[in-house]
Amino acid sequence: MWYALKAELVYFRVWLLGGLGIAGGVSGLMLVLKFLVDDAEGIPGFLTGMFLFIAGMVVSFIVQSYRWEERRTRLLLAGTLTPRQLAGVMVILPVCFMSVGALAGVVMIGLTALITGNLDPADLRTTAVLGVEFWAYAQMGPLVQEATAARRQGRGRAAIAGWAVFAVAVLLLAVGMFFRHLIQANLGQMTAIVMAMVVAAKLYTGRTDYTR
Amino acid sequence: MNDHRPGAAARLSGLTKRWPGFQLGPLDLVLEPGTVLALVGPNGAGKTTTLNCMAGLIVPDEGGTEVYGSPVHPTLVEYRRDIGYVGEENGFFQGWKARRNLDFLAKLMPGWSKDRARRLAERFGLPMDKPVNKLSHGNRTKLALVAALAHGPRLLLLDEPTSGLDPVVRSEVLDVLWEITEDGEHAVLYSTHVLSDINRLADELAFLRDGQLVLRTGRDELSERWRRVSFRLQHEDVELTGVVEHRRVRAEHQVITRDSEATLQQLAELGAEAVEVSRMSVDEIAVQILKEGHHVVRAES
Repeated sequence: MWYALKAELVYFRVWLLGGLGIAGGVSGLMLVLKFLVDDAEGIPGFLTGMFLFIAGMVVSFIVQSYRWEERRTRLLLAGTLTPRQLAGVMVILPVCFMSVGALAGVVMIGLTALITGNLDPADLRTTAVLGVEFWAYAQMGPLVQEATAARRQGRGRAAIAGWAVFAVAVLLLAVGMFFRHLIQANLGQMTAIVMAMVVAAKLYTGRTDYTR
Repeated sequence: MNDHRPGAAARLSGLTKRWPGFQLGPLDLVLEPGTVLALVGPNGAGKTTTLNCMAGLIVPDEGGTEVYGSPVHPTLVEYRRDIGYVGEENGFFQGWKARRNLDFLAKLMPGWSKDRARRLAERFGLPMDKPVNKLSHGNRTKLALVAALAHGPRLLLLDEPTSGLDPVVRSEVLDVLWEITEDGEHAVLYSTHVLSDINRLADELAFLRDGQLVLRTGRDELSERWRRVSFRLQHEDVELTGVVEHRRVRAEHQVITRDSEATLQQLAELGAEAVEVSRMSVDEIAVQILKEGHHVVRAES
């Protein structure tokens, strides 16, 4: 599984680097503007890093829609990989992309703080809430794909379970935005993420058709 | 179908798969080692679904498949060592070179021989240093064949392997498949609607129509029995044994028969004159079999 995961990461690193490059460019431009205008109130400090988080999410969406079905078919025929292992690759890939995006985002926020000399704790809170929120969005992709596949394959109960978990996850994410405490918000988001990962993997291993 | 000899390359037992508005099977089919079986049928007949069930990519609703005695299911891996599969989609990393794709698969496939892959690629004239998305359709098919053959499978499942290929490449692909099966140890099941391929490769033919197996027969047997017969006979409504198509203009008749011996004997008894018998090519016969039902056409003027 790790070998297949590594191959996917290597293959899509161009997309990731490109996405991070664009996001980094936008963040850098904001940083320059912030420096030139000298208006610390005008642009929130977390915003420069947020673009890099978003880049991780967008690349996750691209990967989820890019010939995954075909490649899973090929991998399933490649000797030793089981559907459970392929499900693992499917749900762990967004984690990897989001981790790289988050790392770059945190570095950018640190850079912003160094340049402006101002690190507002509220910025860190907002970063943590929005960052995990974007990660949760990225994990919803496989869940929606698998719930749709279950419906298409006539696995009615599996499809209902998938869509129900999706609805609960969206509810948790929506409610989480209103929590004042970071831990409460992140707890709700993490619950949604774990639920989405587990159910997406479960739905994938229960497929009756691995070709589409 | 309670025959469980382990020697069969593939054994389909009551294989059934239902989609909305379509049912494949129940199919019972045994493929012996050394046999090249062409699965012939029009689009939507169930050829791809059959192959996908045999490869373990689709789970049947009822029945199942065994490959060299190992049950086929997506969660099992044993049977995959014996299968080489070329499907409609190739599933490669499009931006990677052909060589890199094969190197990637080599680490996943038990029994993969880099030497075999290299020889096959050379035999096909496959440009190994081109990205897959820059390869022509023919070269992508060749790459898929190399990927399917490099681990030395004993059963090849090929879904329309020559579809969309130009005549030269198609001929090359068929040559290689013919060489592979020449040793008598490999079994091949390939689906096609390119009927000219049948003559070149297949020992046996299985005809699928609307998800049902309508006929399985040897190619030579088919050629021996089917004939086009023209004759003169004054009878207006004559029913001839084995005839699947009958055209008549006044006393001149032309029939296509699937049992030439019986038809000719009956014609002799009826006193038919000017009887002329001509052979039919396998693809002509296949078209007749796949037509909607064995029917009698009466063209009168």
